[in-house]
Amino acid sequence: MRVQTETATANNGVNVEALLDARAAITTMPEAGQFTWRARCEWIDGVQSRSTIEGFFGLGEQQMRKSVHSIDADHPEQFAATDAGPTPVEIVLSGLASCLTAGVASVAQNRGIQLRKVKATVEGDMDLAGILGVDADVRNGFSAIRVTFDIDADATRDEIAALVAQSQKRSAVFDIITNPTNVHVAVA
Amino acid sequence: MKPLATVIVGAGQAGLAMSRELSGRGVDHLILERGAVANSWRTERWDSLTLLTPNWANGLPGAPYEGAEPDGFMPVSELVERFEAYASTIDAPIQDDTTVTNVVRTGSNYRLYTNHGPVLCETLVLATGACNRPKVPAIRSAVPPGLFQTTPLAYRRPSDLPYGGVLIVGASASGVQLAREIHSSGRPVTLAVGNHTRLPRSYRGRDIEWWLNATGLHDVTFDEIDDLDRARQTPSGQLIGSHEKVDLNGLQDLGIEVVGRLADIRDGQALFSGGLANAIASADLKMNRLLNSIDEWIVAQGLETEMPAPEVFVQTRVPTVPRLMRSLTDGTIRTVVWATGYSPDFSWLDLPVFDRRGRLRHYGGVVDAPGLYVMGLPFMRRRKSQQILGAGDDAADLAGHLVSKLDRRHAA
Repeated sequence: MRVQTETATANNGVNVEALLDARAAITTMPEAGQFTWRARCEWIDGVQSRSTIEGFFGLGEQQMRKSVHSIDADHPEQFAATDAGPTPVEIVLSGLASCLTAGVASVAQNRGIQLRKVKATVEGDMDLAGILGVDADVRNGFSAIRVTFDIDADATRDEIAALVAQSQKRSAVFDIITNPTNVHVAVA
Repeated sequence: MKPLATVIVGAGQAGLAMSRELSGRGVDHLILERGAVANSWRTERWDSLTLLTPNWANGLPGAPYEGAEPDGFMPVSELVERFEAYASTIDAPIQDDTTVTNVVRTGSNYRLYTNHGPVLCETLVLATGACNRPKVPAIRSAVPPGLFQTTPLAYRRPSDLPYGGVLIVGASASGVQLAREIHSSGRPVTLAVGNHTRLPRSYRGRDIEWWLNATGLHDVTFDEIDDLDRARQTPSGQLIGSHEKVDLNGLQDLGIEVVGRLADIRDGQALFSGGLANAIASADLKMNRLLNSIDEWIVAQGLETEMPAPEVFVQTRVPTVPRLMRSLTDGTIRTVVWATGYSPDFSWLDLPVFDRRGRLRHYGGVVDAPGLYVMGLPFMRRRKSQQILGAGDDAADLAGHLVSKLDRRHAA
C-alpha cells in the first residue's frame, strides 16, 4: 500500500510552488530564513495610536514594500475612549484568525483541495480585574481563546479537520499565543 | 596489518542479521561488541519492559519465533536469550567487551581504535542502534536543584524515584509506559504531551503490528516518501507490550493529568503549551486515517467478509481547562522524567559524514564514505528499519551493496 500525493488541481490562489521553493532555499541557506518583522507605533491621543508597517528584514537584507500599511488602535466608548480603531487585543485575535486562515488556504492548495468559503469566528475571554489591577490572581490576557471555522470545500469532514489541524501546527500566531515568547522592552 | 573485509560494530539485531548475510556470502568479518550480545537490551532498559511488538515479530532471519505464544509480548530477558542462541547458531564472529573509541580513514581502509588494540577493515557497518543517548531539551538546566531528573535509558523501576509527584515530559512509547507504571506506584504523574502518535493495540481482531506488516506499510522504502525527514521523526506509537491501555484516554482514566507540550521553565514554573487540544485532535485524525487505509486494504484484498467489522475508537478527551503551568518549587513535583526521545551516538566516528545538524549523511543506509554502512535508524531504509523485524531485509540489501564494493576493490 503506497501513500499517494494529491495531484488534483485546486485553485485557492496560493502559490505553493513559491512556498516549496522557499523551503528548499532555506534548507540549503538557513541564513536566508532569518526574518525580523517590524511595526512602528505612534501615540495619537488618549488610548489611540497608529501602527505603520512597511519594511522587514529577510533573505539576507532589509526589504521594502510597495505601500505602507497602517492600523489604528483605540478603545471603545464603553471604555470612555473614542473608538477610532479596534482594541489591541482584538487585533491579536484577528491576527490569529488570519494566520490560521492563510494556513488553511495554503495547506488546501498543497493538498489539491478546492476551497469555496472559509470563515472563522474567534473569541477571547478576559476578566478585566486583571488589567485594572483589581485582583493579582487574575491574568491580564485571555483566559481562553476559541476559534470556530466555517469551511465549505471539496473535501470530507475529516479532510477539512485535517486542514485546520495542520494550519495550527504551522501557524506563527498560534505558536506566539500558545507558547511563551521573550519580549524585551527598552527605552532608547 | 592486513585489513578485514568487514567489521560490524554492535551485536544487536542489526549486527547479527548483517553477520548472517556476510557469512552466507563468504565475507570474512568480525563483530565488535562493547558488552555482550544484545547489550543495549540488557543494560539500558527498565525492569518491567516487555517488547511492544508481539512475539511473532521478534524473530531474526532464518530463526522466526516458534515459541508457544506468538501473540504474547516477551520480556527483555527472553529476547536476550534468543539473541544469544541465534549468535551461536549462526556462529557470529563476535568479539565481546570491545569498545570502539575512534574510527579514522587510513588509505583506502578504516582504522578502528579499540580497548583491545586497533583493527583495520575495508568496509564498516555501524550497527550500534538508534537509542544510545537520550535527547533532552536545553531547558533541563532550568529545572530547580533538588528535583530528581532521569531519562528512560537510566530509569529502572518506580522505587528509583523519590516519593511525590512526577512530571513526565513526552508521551510517545517510553513516556506513556513509564507514566502508567510510575503513577500506579503511587507517585502522581503529570504528563506533558506534544506531537504524538496514537495507535490501538489491536484493530478488527489483529494486532496493529500485523496490519502494519500485512498492508505493506512497514516495507515502504525511504525513496518512496515525500518528506523523509518528517517520516524519520515520527513519534513512536503510544503502545505497550501488554493489553493495558496507554493511550491518553487510558492514562487519564488512571488519574494521570495530561498537559500540553513543555514549552519553557521560568522562575521555577514549568510552562505548558496551550496547543494541547490540537496535538490531541491531530493524533486522533492520523490514527483514523491509518485505520481507514487498513479498511480499504481489507476491501481491496477481498477480505471484508472474513474480518470483524471496523471499530471506531473513542475520541481522545481533552481536559476542560488544560493546565498551563506547574510549580516546580512548591514540592508537589519531586521528579522530572525526560521521555523526549533518543539519538544514536556516532561521536567516535572521526569521518566527514555528518550534516550541519550533526546527523549522519546516508542514502538508505549507504553512508557518504566508501564502504561505510549504517543500520537500525528510524526509517533508515524502510519504515521498519528500526524494529527487530526490519533488520533482515535491510541487511540483505546493504550486504549486497557491500559485497559488490569489495569485489570492485579486489578486481581493481
